Amino acid sequence: MKFRLEWLGQYLPGELPDLATLRRRLTDVGFIVEGTEGEGRDAVLDVELTANRPDGMNHRGLAREAACALGREFRDVPAPAPAEGPLEASSLATVTIEEPALCSRYSARIVEGVQVREASPAVQETAPAPSGMNPISSPVDATNHVLWDLGQPLHAFDLDTLAKGADGRPAIVVRRARAGETLVTLDGVERTLSPEHLVIADAEKPVALAGVMGGLHTAITPSTTRVLLESAHFSATAVRKTARLLGMHTDASHRFERGTDPATTVEGLNRVTALLVADCGGTVARGVIDVLAREIPSRVVKLRHARLVSFLGMDVPLGRCVQILSALAFGVTETAPGVLAVTVPTWRVDVEQECDLIEEVIRVVGYGALPEVLPPPFNPTWAEPILAREDRARDVLAAAGFVEACSYSFVSAEENAPFESAVSGSAPVIANALGEPFTTMRATPVIGLLRAARHNIRRGLSDLSLFEVGRSYALVEGHPVESRRAAVLLHGRRGTHWAAEALPADFYDGSGAVAALFAGFGAAAPGFRPVSVPFLASGRSAEIVAGGVVVGWVGVLAGPLAAAWDLDEAVVADVDLAAIPVPPPPSSVAMPSRFPGSDVDLTVTHPLSVGWETLDEAVRKGAPAELLRVDAKYLWRGAGVPEGFVKTTLRVAFGSPERSLGRDEINRWRDEAARRLLLVPGTAVDGIA
Amino acid sequence: MSTVPVSVEEARGLFAAELSESEAAASPRGGFLPADVAALKVRWLGKKQGVVTALLARLKEVPKEEKAAFGAGVNALKQEVEARLDALEAEAAARAASLAEAAKAVDVTLPPRVPPVGRLHPLTVVRRRIEASFRGLGYEVADGPEIETDWYNFESLNFPPDHPARDAVDTFFVEGRRDGARRASPPDAHVAGPDADDGEPQAPIRVLCPGRVYRKDDIDPRHSPVFHQMEGLVVDEGITFAHLRGTLAAFAKSFFGGRAEVRLAPTFFPFVEPGVDCAVSCTFCEKGCRICSFSGWIEIMGAGMVHPNVLANAGIDPERYTGFAFGMGIDRIAMLLHGIPDLRLLFENDVRFLDRTWS
Ligand SMILES: [Zn+2]
Repeated sequence: MKFRLEWLGQYLPGELPDLATLRRRLTDVGFIVEGTEGEGRDAVLDVELTANRPDGMNHRGLAREAACALGREFRDVPAPAPAEGPLEASSLATVTIEEPALCSRYSARIVEGVQVREASPAVQETAPAPSGMNPISSPVDATNHVLWDLGQPLHAFDLDTLAKGADGRPAIVVRRARAGETLVTLDGVERTLSPEHLVIADAEKPVALAGVMGGLHTAITPSTTRVLLESAHFSATAVRKTARLLGMHTDASHRFERGTDPATTVEGLNRVTALLVADCGGTVARGVIDVLAREIPSRVVKLRHARLVSFLGMDVPLGRCVQILSALAFGVTETAPGVLAVTVPTWRVDVEQECDLIEEVIRVVGYGALPEVLPPPFNPTWAEPILAREDRARDVLAAAGFVEACSYSFVSAEENAPFESAVSGSAPVIANALGEPFTTMRATPVIGLLRAARHNIRRGLSDLSLFEVGRSYALVEGHPVESRRAAVLLHGRRGTHWAAEALPADFYDGSGAVAALFAGFGAAAPGFRPVSVPFLASGRSAEIVAGGVVVGWVGVLAGPLAAAWDLDEAVVADVDLAAIPVPPPPSSVAMPSRFPGSDVDLTVTHPLSVGWETLDEAVRKGAPAELLRVDAKYLWRGAGVPEGFVKTTLRVAFGSPERSLGRDEINRWRDEAARRLLLVPGTAVDGIA
Repeated sequence: MSTVPVSVEEARGLFAAELSESEAAASPRGGFLPADVAALKVRWLGKKQGVVTALLARLKEVPKEEKAAFGAGVNALKQEVEARLDALEAEAAARAASLAEAAKAVDVTLPPRVPPVGRLHPLTVVRRRIEASFRGLGYEVADGPEIETDWYNFESLNFPPDHPARDAVDTFFVEGRRDGARRASPPDAHVAGPDADDGEPQAPIRVLCPGRVYRKDDIDPRHSPVFHQMEGLVVDEGITFAHLRGTLAAFAKSFFGGRAEVRLAPTFFPFVEPGVDCAVSCTFCEKGCRICSFSGWIEIMGAGMVHPNVLANAGIDPERYTGFAFGMGIDRIAMLLHGIPDLRLLFENDVRFLDRTWS
């Protein structure tokens, strides 16, 4: 908000304060001056006001802060009642408050015989922000002036447009709107109202949205001669509700929502009446129609000096505390040694508790005066295990050559739909989303990786190894479930080099990344089981099995889905990090064997339907303890191998921690393994009949 | 070469002549190779047709009284030739080995075969650095859900319903629930809240809560609906405002370097009182730079003393316990540290951006 230095000066007797000093001191006490324009009397300060200090949103209020911050005197400018005519205001209109909880006070004055002018030159000249002003008429200008000066929002009605009550007088009624009532507001929009809206009504219909905006049909026009000026105190909640439900925000609602001074209504009324008469002439009716529906008592808050000292961790002498609070217009009485009863000014809606008073003291003393002290030593540090696990996964995957991505948790409904079966439950939908693609919380971080892949491919980078450690989201029986995932995407080639042609990433790069992740946690190698899911290519997709349960999935992205994302073949995986069975760290480690051991090869021709798991199991089952590893060395399909068959060379490693193995026993074990392989239907083993 | 010398002297001269002839022939190749020396050995020392053997065969034609001298002369010649050819053989073997080595030479300036180098995201790296600073001060690192109840998101943090303070922190809501996506601070409230097991409030607390938070902002170079926040909370008996200042100063020195100073200014957050804006003196410049917007100060976080209402909401007696809280944007600090010009870079995952070492 903009403030004119000269205007502030009206409340600071003596010379105008130095602009730079004022700027620094206001910022120090919590009113951040973001910039200044001009110099000398015409200087304008742009101040950022926090939501808790509506009392600073006007020149008088900010001048009070400036006086305290600069250590100068603050002197209020009186607002005497204007010269009044003989006619009683109360004979010209009535005011009724039907909702005392929502409107504590409604003060009104009436001016007759005015001649409305287009704009008020006096107000226009002193306006702090000329560009932001939209001059309509001099009465509106006058209300704006008082708003900037005292922070009291005001409204002017054309008295002759207000419907009369049974007593023949135009009526003002503060009430809730009735369902279905309508009002065309000053901006020309017709609003349909409900009892949640607080309105000002005449005897028949709503004529204004209380504290938000007036109605068009009761507004001041060039032909208006009789004006009713409103100066009221509405409840912050009531105004906020009305404004928000209608999607409105005005200068008046901005202040009422934050809280106005219930004691300023008559003062503001007197000020605006004087301005109006000065511009437009007319006679002020006698008296203020001042309806006080509810007394808002001044708050008295206890401040214990000892508490202040222990809370701050520094001493501020009691006398200094009293001086600061008094300068800010708090009433201070010492009720016991070191205990103050502090009466809060009516405009300080933010001060409710002792800590608020402590803040008043320390912000004026300055946060820079606080000593830098560390709290006493504490217990050893510890990280939530799941967070440590997430970070371990990041390190493992980065070490395996993957680049970490970070993507939004939101995706479009369309992007999420193919993956919905990846989680149990339904996708959380954002009720107030920004629009697509931000409506749905993702079923898997893989969706973010697909978006990242598309982004990179469109920019000419198609060899990608990406991962993201993040959450997937679902609603299960209405409750949100967030699962920690490690997601991986491979696209194009890995590690290209001129010396050899690199192959595009395939299923085994995906399952390999998963295996590397498990190895990084010291977990047993996971199993891969064929699976059919809509988002993966059938025949090249697997669920990841560990400790007997499914902990994720890996595979080549289904063709149509890849095409929809503008990708070639992409290999994707998603692992539930919490489900990886991480063993405890080793507590005793055996010495590695001194004896080198031996490898033997077994070449098996077998139907394609016989999977690796079957061969592996056949070799292991009944093998001696000396069997160390079974690995696939070579696979061949084509010449020399019948259609529907594959020739697999297994490499079997034997070794003992205690001795060198003899060639004879190794050959015997190999032949035994070969015979077990032969028991698998359809197999033949080279060199074994 | 087919001639057989008649005397030892003639043979010695012939050997020298043939040797220099062969050397001349081999010189374009850089000298003798093992095959050259082998051929010379056969010609001169061959058991059947070698020159020395043939010379020795003449012994029977030599007069009796000269036989002894002739025999000794041939033997001496044989030793000379052997010694010379052995030396040449070793030389040739070394030459052959070095030629074989040279044949395997590569252009070491060609691009190397780089194993895939993975990268951590800058947000991960910066988050860990912040965590390390606070873990050094004895903080635990805690965790919380991202989909939050209104209570933890707002009410427990002293945001009354229908209060303008909520305007600045508009969040997203999940259909069919009162829950909103987490904004800053709720994990603090969870930590401070009664423990699910025994219902006891958990003071004292010294905790750090990293996490993903949400705000209803459109995407632009400075805003994002999803961002990352590091929240801290300390609650104990005797925690003071000076402790907050000391903690922020210690963090600033640990994170930005020993020269860093903090400057605190009053501000307002509903969940703290007093509220603090914390700026750190710029350690990247002497007189102002782009990072500090030429002011010498970098705004890094909001903080404050935990509001007594927030403590009471968590079941903690605000008369007995006090505390402070702070929160900083990990994204913002990463952008500051690395001069990242656009927040969207952190979520776009352009590999040309990600593929570098962050700190
Ligand atoms: Zn700088």
